[in-house]
Amino acid sequence: MSKYEPLILAFCCHYCAYAAADLAGSMRLQYPNNVRVLKLPCTGKLEVNFILAAFERGVDGVFVAGCLEGGCHYLEGNLRARRRVERAKEILSEIGLEPERVDMFNLSSAQGPRFAEIVNEMTARLTSLGPSPFRPARGAEEPVREMTEQAEASLSGENHDCCQS
Amino acid sequence: MIVANRKHVQELCNMFKGHKRVLLVGCGTCVTVCLAGGERETGILGSAVRMALKLAGRGEVVVNECTIERQCDDAFFDPLAAHGAEYDAICSFGCGVGVQALAERFPDISVYPGLNTQFMGLLESQGVWTEKCSGCGNCRLGEFAGICPITRCSKRLLNGPCGGSRDGQCEVREGLDCAWQLIYDRAKAIGTLSKIEEIALPNDWSTALDGGTRKVVREDQCIAGLGPKA
Amino acid sequence: MDATTSDRIMVTVDGRTAEVPAGTSILNAARQMGISIPTLCNYRGLSCYGACRVCLVEIERGQGRQLVASCSYPAENGLVVHTETEKVKDSRQTILELLLAQAPESAELAEFAANLGVESTPFKPVTNGKCILCGLCARVCNEMMGRGAINLFGRGIAKQVRTAWSEQSDQCQACGACAFVCPTGAVDLKTITARRLRPHNTGYDQFLTARPCIDLAHPQASPRVPYIDRDNCVHFKSDECGLCFKVCGAGAIDYEQTVETLDLQVGSVVLTPGFEAFDATRRGEFGFGFAPNVLTNVQFERMLSAAGPTRGHLSRPSDGKAPKRLAFIQCVGSRDAGCDNDYCSSVCCMAATKEAILAMEHEPGLEVTVFFLDLRAFGKDFDRYYERAQKLGVRYVRSFISRTYEMPGSKNLRLVHMNPEMKPVEAEFDMIVLSLGLEPSASLQKQAERLGVVLNRWGFAKTSELMPLDTSRPGVYVGGAFQEPKDIPDTVMQASAAAARAMSLLAAARGTLVRTKSYPPQRDVTDEPARIGVFVCHCGSNIASVVDVEAVVKKAREFPNVILSEHNVYTCASNNQDLMKEKIIANKLNRVVVASCTPRTHEPIFRDTLRDAGLNPYLFEMANIRDQCSWVHSASPEQATAKAVDLVRMAVGRAGCLMPLQEETVPVSNGVLVIGGGIAGMTAALALADQGFPVHLVEKSDQLGGTTREIHHTLDHGDVQGFLAQTIDRLRASRNITIYPNSSVSKVDGNVGSFTSKVVTDGELREIKHGVVVVATGATELKPQSYGYGKSKHVITQLELADRLGKGEFDLPAKATVVMIQCVEQRSEERPYCSRICCTTAVRNALLLKERFPKARIMVLYRDMRTYGYREAAYREAREKGVLFVRYEADHPPTLEVGARLRLKVREPALGKDLQVEPDMVVLAAPMAPRADRKEISELLKVPLNADGFFLEAHTKLRPVDFASEGLFICGTAHSPKFITESISQANAVAARAATILSHKQMPVSGQIAYVDPDKCVSCMTCVHLCAYMAPRIGTDNKAEVQGVVCMGCGSCASECPAKAIMLRHYVDTQILAAVNSLLYAEPVEKQVKNPYPEQVGVAPPKWHKSGV
Repeated sequence: MSKYEPLILAFCCHYCAYAAADLAGSMRLQYPNNVRVLKLPCTGKLEVNFILAAFERGVDGVFVAGCLEGGCHYLEGNLRARRRVERAKEILSEIGLEPERVDMFNLSSAQGPRFAEIVNEMTARLTSLGPSPFRPARGAEEPVREMTEQAEASLSGENHDCCQS
Repeated sequence: MIVANRKHVQELCNMFKGHKRVLLVGCGTCVTVCLAGGERETGILGSAVRMALKLAGRGEVVVNECTIERQCDDAFFDPLAAHGAEYDAICSFGCGVGVQALAERFPDISVYPGLNTQFMGLLESQGVWTEKCSGCGNCRLGEFAGICPITRCSKRLLNGPCGGSRDGQCEVREGLDCAWQLIYDRAKAIGTLSKIEEIALPNDWSTALDGGTRKVVREDQCIAGLGPKA
Repeated sequence: MDATTSDRIMVTVDGRTAEVPAGTSILNAARQMGISIPTLCNYRGLSCYGACRVCLVEIERGQGRQLVASCSYPAENGLVVHTETEKVKDSRQTILELLLAQAPESAELAEFAANLGVESTPFKPVTNGKCILCGLCARVCNEMMGRGAINLFGRGIAKQVRTAWSEQSDQCQACGACAFVCPTGAVDLKTITARRLRPHNTGYDQFLTARPCIDLAHPQASPRVPYIDRDNCVHFKSDECGLCFKVCGAGAIDYEQTVETLDLQVGSVVLTPGFEAFDATRRGEFGFGFAPNVLTNVQFERMLSAAGPTRGHLSRPSDGKAPKRLAFIQCVGSRDAGCDNDYCSSVCCMAATKEAILAMEHEPGLEVTVFFLDLRAFGKDFDRYYERAQKLGVRYVRSFISRTYEMPGSKNLRLVHMNPEMKPVEAEFDMIVLSLGLEPSASLQKQAERLGVVLNRWGFAKTSELMPLDTSRPGVYVGGAFQEPKDIPDTVMQASAAAARAMSLLAAARGTLVRTKSYPPQRDVTDEPARIGVFVCHCGSNIASVVDVEAVVKKAREFPNVILSEHNVYTCASNNQDLMKEKIIANKLNRVVVASCTPRTHEPIFRDTLRDAGLNPYLFEMANIRDQCSWVHSASPEQATAKAVDLVRMAVGRAGCLMPLQEETVPVSNGVLVIGGGIAGMTAALALADQGFPVHLVEKSDQLGGTTREIHHTLDHGDVQGFLAQTIDRLRASRNITIYPNSSVSKVDGNVGSFTSKVVTDGELREIKHGVVVVATGATELKPQSYGYGKSKHVITQLELADRLGKGEFDLPAKATVVMIQCVEQRSEERPYCSRICCTTAVRNALLLKERFPKARIMVLYRDMRTYGYREAAYREAREKGVLFVRYEADHPPTLEVGARLRLKVREPALGKDLQVEPDMVVLAAPMAPRADRKEISELLKVPLNADGFFLEAHTKLRPVDFASEGLFICGTAHSPKFITESISQANAVAARAATILSHKQMPVSGQIAYVDPDKCVSCMTCVHLCAYMAPRIGTDNKAEVQGVVCMGCGSCASECPAKAIMLRHYVDTQILAAVNSLLYAEPVEKQVKNPYPEQVGVAPPKWHKSGV
């Protein structure tokens, strides 16, 4: 078996963190390929259950990256996000999972190198923490356990509303 | 509004010992408003409990969650009824009333509380709730300028403050306003100071919790044949 | 299909068949298919040499198979090629092992080999160099540069690359192409060229680092397209090279482009050429240009940038070490009559303060000293920032620096400054930053003449204080620093204001040149199951050289709902867009995923393609496999490919849940409510009325004009009262303006585009409908409590002095002594801000007094003279005319005894002694304070105030006239203390910003906004409490509702709603969770839509509603 490589999900806001990740690309900075970025309009859209869902699904770590404090494009979305990340940490530690597996970062769109630094930092941290106990064998095509049925339930309901009105 | 807060994830896991399929049921009224037991919180706790169980080596336990309109009426359990048989435990994310209502509706299934029901209270500022009413069954707020000394005075004094009122603060706990200071200030502001000078008679506690389970009956509303049980 | 036409042939590589031009090499044919074959000696654009043999492939030949070098073997029709067979791998390994023995010292080669699985060589090294004799360097020198400075000499083991006679070559042009193309890092330019090597430093990083000759002009260049530096490009200098033309797969290089002259028919011209930084070499005594550790502040700004030459680390150009002691020297090329710049550049004090704070954050322990003359922190909240810098440890030393000395060994810099006791002391620093003055653009000096625009004596556009936007030529307006040096918010304001002037002029022509694009009707896809098309982009070689595009495409076909998966070399090329459109229609696709670059730049392009294909633009999703994958993982192609697959899987998962969104429009009421009838309110009203919008101007007193009624002269001798009278006349004459004197606004309802307000006039209530609100409630001079004001008629304020001087009601005994005290009851703990205007007002009044009473002695007691911009010249004039300026320190304020005579005492810091004066008149610079009704207005409009009670704009730098809530604007002194000229600019700026809303009959509402499901809402108020824009409110049915026009779409409410009743469209839970759930493996289709309950849980029949209260 190959050496453990953590899998990290990053929730990045459109205006700063995602732009910083793009800038890291334009600058051809090299960083570990463990991170998968999911773009949100603002980290204000981050929900505690997204973080938990990601862990349940088997990621080893999550980081949330928003604008610098005071510099949020949506005024204070990043401040709300920070509190939610704190709450997710609290719940994770109650579960018995290391709260360090999730963290919140702030960076501006000009901080491409900072983005690479964050990925390095999280990768190093998660490598030392070891794989998440919820991690399925990589490449397994079948889910290990049933997916949360509430999520399924909402799949049919919500979608229609959002296009009707 | 009834205010509650969540239990520790491990406490929930311990409750579900010996169960194979657990349904978490959220409630869409008071506990949703106080951010403890609505669809969002039930979902978060569901996710947390599943992970905690798995870590404890009980990953085979199925934990599902759903949230219903209101748990303090049997009618809203109808959609659940068809699925009751699929679960061997139900955990209510409603207040204590909801837990018991579920227990009545599903006599064959273990029912557990997902929340700690705290008090009847009010949102003070976003994320902060304070107790306002103890449900003593004999409301005398009119005597006390609209501020309840039974709930809000730490010593439940009905005739003025104790000696421990300092700068409007209660001696029992830091940061707690002295209810009698509040009563005085408000009575003064609305010009009813004379009212609180009268000696307040001892409270009739027979209407409170001490007298056994309480019941309210409205004869005119009772439907023939379905009247109150004796 | 039989492709036997002479110019096209069919080739099959690794099982994929494609048509390529006849004569194409196998290597190039494979590249076109996105299959990459490793090679060392092949370089696009250079001739093929077949030297390295790494590019071996196996071809099918009749019965058997044969190994050939793919770079040199021309593909023939029907050729079948295999690039990764065991035989290929074995042979390649041997070849690489031999090459490693040839060039054992090359780290580049070792890495290249390691990526192909060859870690070491069993062969004994034959040489100890880095060169593998592939000849690329010689080919580029001969074929491209036409130089032939180097070549391959000798045979067999004696073969080597060198110059003629192994001497440094005169032929060599030191272009560096040989070193650039060398695959093994073997070329050392110093041994080749006889010329001096000099890095090609460009303006991109302020000449701090070398950059290529093809580059972006600057990091934020728009359009973001590189350009060729023709002064340094070999092709433009000697007509050789042209390699970029051959390499660019997109064919974007065009050497024929020339400067074009366009004839434009315009009705108005706005000049915004900006400024240029002072040339620091003109003040050579500071060492710039020869002392490497002396930087300009613009260079330092680049150095602080995370994307700059040092990645945000401070480093001394001389040795790369981090400085420990840093000094800023202010006023280099400003306030300097010696180089004809006797004006103040206005921005440098705060810029240096900001840079000092940033530098300390970047380099903990750094000591920063700022050498300054007067600290001009005159703007909104600037003094607070200055205080903060001091608290953080920035040392401010008031001292004129005349020169620096470089220490020969350390390259440190020494300078002499005055200590607080006014004794000269010497100090040493590791690095020095020069705060350069702002100068008008040199190139514009000639243009201005052609434009017929008069410049002032410093070369900036000539304007007057009462007409700050108009140049000398009608219809030509000016914005930004070309009018006067100014910082960002003032520049933004003035630029908007110039636009307003032009819009007023051209109001009749509005909308006549608008072109709209038409789209086919959108197909209704709501009831269709998802049919997803995936388009994976090579982006030339940007993605394909790292990510195995073909593998990604193949994998994507297995994902749920994917009907079609394809790849293109450039998905964004217009022909491929057309193709995509056809594919969408032909395959009835209803969701599209493009895996390419970043949605930040390309999502709008592809969304447009979807609209062209009759799909709703929101049915589109992108996977960023370039900026966030191939570019950052170029060293590990396999993992990059795996990541790209993951990213596409997430995008497909999300795309399956996307729903069409309608971008609705709401009607706009084009009326304006202006609150406040001072100079700002009136100017805004006129500018908007001139553009044709009906304006309601509400003034609480019975007269228009506000504080301006008490001001008579501007510094440039403008007649303020005349201007005021003229403005009021124009206002009354305008058909579009309704004036409500003695009135106040009692209620404002609605949102941007449709407000309804109630105006009370003497108890009578009127209702007004309007689209925007302008707050121009002004400020007032606060009457002082100190210095015996009110007790003695000889103590007055500057405003009172100005008024009495203006009305000619002021008299003084001959040889009178007048003392002006600055910063009275401001820049204090209680009122920690600067009123901006008092220093200049004092100078103006002093000059007026000197004019009327030439024998009077005038003394100004100040803390910092903040006569910024051209006001500096008046300060100088006052000193020349004998006005005495005496500085005092905040902890030793002047004292005044009020008795039969006034007795004033002040400590002069340089002498350290008290001066005593018996003035005949004391004039106090009282603070400009916000109006008393600010709180009511703030609550009425739900707009914030800052700590000093001035209204707080949306963004202090970039949105200086907007409130955070849409449709509300601020101008004049209600925003912060300012001069009349600045109020006029800001009022015009408001008119321009408001016109962006009012000029539309319909206003678009974004599709990506929050929506409340009323059936699920429990009216808990969470959303109402936390929205920063106040978009959610409790509606008439007692349920929350989000006002679409106000919602910005951040989703904060949706993420906290405890009942999950709010969703942010386009980012609903299911869509995000679908992406999260697809992170590790695709969700099977049957799992995706399954409801465990027959009815939707949450609403029990019969439908139940809370009753309204």
